Amino acid sequence: MTVEEQVREIVAKITHVDKSIITRQSTFKEIKADSLDVVQALVAVEETFGIEIPDEDAQKFQNFGDFVSYVESRVAQVEKV
Amino acid sequence: MRNKNIAQNGKVRVAVDAMGGDYAPEEIVKGAVLAAQKGDVELFLVGPTNILEKELAGSKFTNGSSIHIVEASEVIKENESPVDVVRRKPNCSVAVAAKMVKAGEADAIMSAGSSGAAAISAIQFIGMLDGMYRPAIVGSLGSFAPNTVMVDLGANADCKPQQFLTFAIVGSVYAKKFLNIADPKIGLLNTGSEENKGSEIGREAYALLKDSGLNFVGNIEGNDILNGKANVVVCGGLVGNVLLKFYESIGGHAKDWTAQKLKRYPPLDVLVKLLFDGLFPATKISGESEKRGGGILWGVDGVVRIAHGASRAPQIANAIECAKEAVKAEVVESLKSELAKFNQGGKL
Repeated sequence: MTVEEQVREIVAKITHVDKSIITRQSTFKEIKADSLDVVQALVAVEETFGIEIPDEDAQKFQNFGDFVSYVESRVAQVEKV
Repeated sequence: MRNKNIAQNGKVRVAVDAMGGDYAPEEIVKGAVLAAQKGDVELFLVGPTNILEKELAGSKFTNGSSIHIVEASEVIKENESPVDVVRRKPNCSVAVAAKMVKAGEADAIMSAGSSGAAAISAIQFIGMLDGMYRPAIVGSLGSFAPNTVMVDLGANADCKPQQFLTFAIVGSVYAKKFLNIADPKIGLLNTGSEENKGSEIGREAYALLKDSGLNFVGNIEGNDILNGKANVVVCGGLVGNVLLKFYESIGGHAKDWTAQKLKRYPPLDVLVKLLFDGLFPATKISGESEKRGGGILWGVDGVVRIAHGASRAPQIANAIECAKEAVKAEVVESLKSELAKFNQGGKL
């Protein structure tokens, strides 16, 4: 499973929406995710991939695609180390 | 069969958020002492050990008797976002209490602190039951409508359509368990009885309820709430909370209004006192839910009892008692098994 698929699954499970409606362009507002959903998703992704996502980075995510790209780059960094 | 959630010694174990509430920790500790005096609970006061030991010093209980102190150095302050519990203060008192339930070290938690922080701790650290998105608060309407409960009473300001179905399931379990109603009638609170009334979310919720297999009687209006048309009134937390507070204020206002009207007939003043302080206590018009464990966050995989922030020791003791009763009544297990039927049927 790719990083994108894993992140999509996490977000879909937390927000209780069908994962097929989450595209890279989807904003958290569009999938009706509130602040708790977002924080839960961040924590779950951190635990799944063993990475840390500082608040200042998380605040820059405009949509699901930004979130996935960030996680992909952090996972790649961890793998290099 | 012994309730699997109760400790070997038969006592229900309640983790008490000792730092949550307007009068914490003093009144919380005093309330815990009152509750512990009954002898059938084991309490865990969660907060900074040095502060709690001082508070407990004047009582007959010492740390390690029926009351234990569990260290939690962080506290969620009034001006902090409840969401901060998850990432910034995962070791605050209410979060540590929730983690104790998850770890099987406590059967229930009680908090008079921020309801949001308690709910978020419960969601994050205990977890939701399968099929539940967020916790809900249920309450019986008591005197005017003894066979009616309302849900949600304020845990969810913004709701998704699916949540209305979970509220109906929660209310149904409550009505069966506490009101002994075998097949509770479910009504969706709306601005009209027709199927197409209300908001888009309301119409989607209607379709889910209609297809749920529950005893759904359709939309009900505000003037149907007290007439028994539905045993379970389903509504969003914003509406439910406003209605609850309005309902709770009726008794006091009825008393004041009657007293004002009868002021010019002094002998009848006695009647007001007799009516509202004696026969029909104004303060008890909607107090039934408290007795039945109102303030429990339904849908969490453990008993979480929230109390008003302004609670003093007697209210804290009562809230601990309610948490204990909820554990003994196995409310979580009942809801879990009801939700399982809907999960299996693909409806959640």
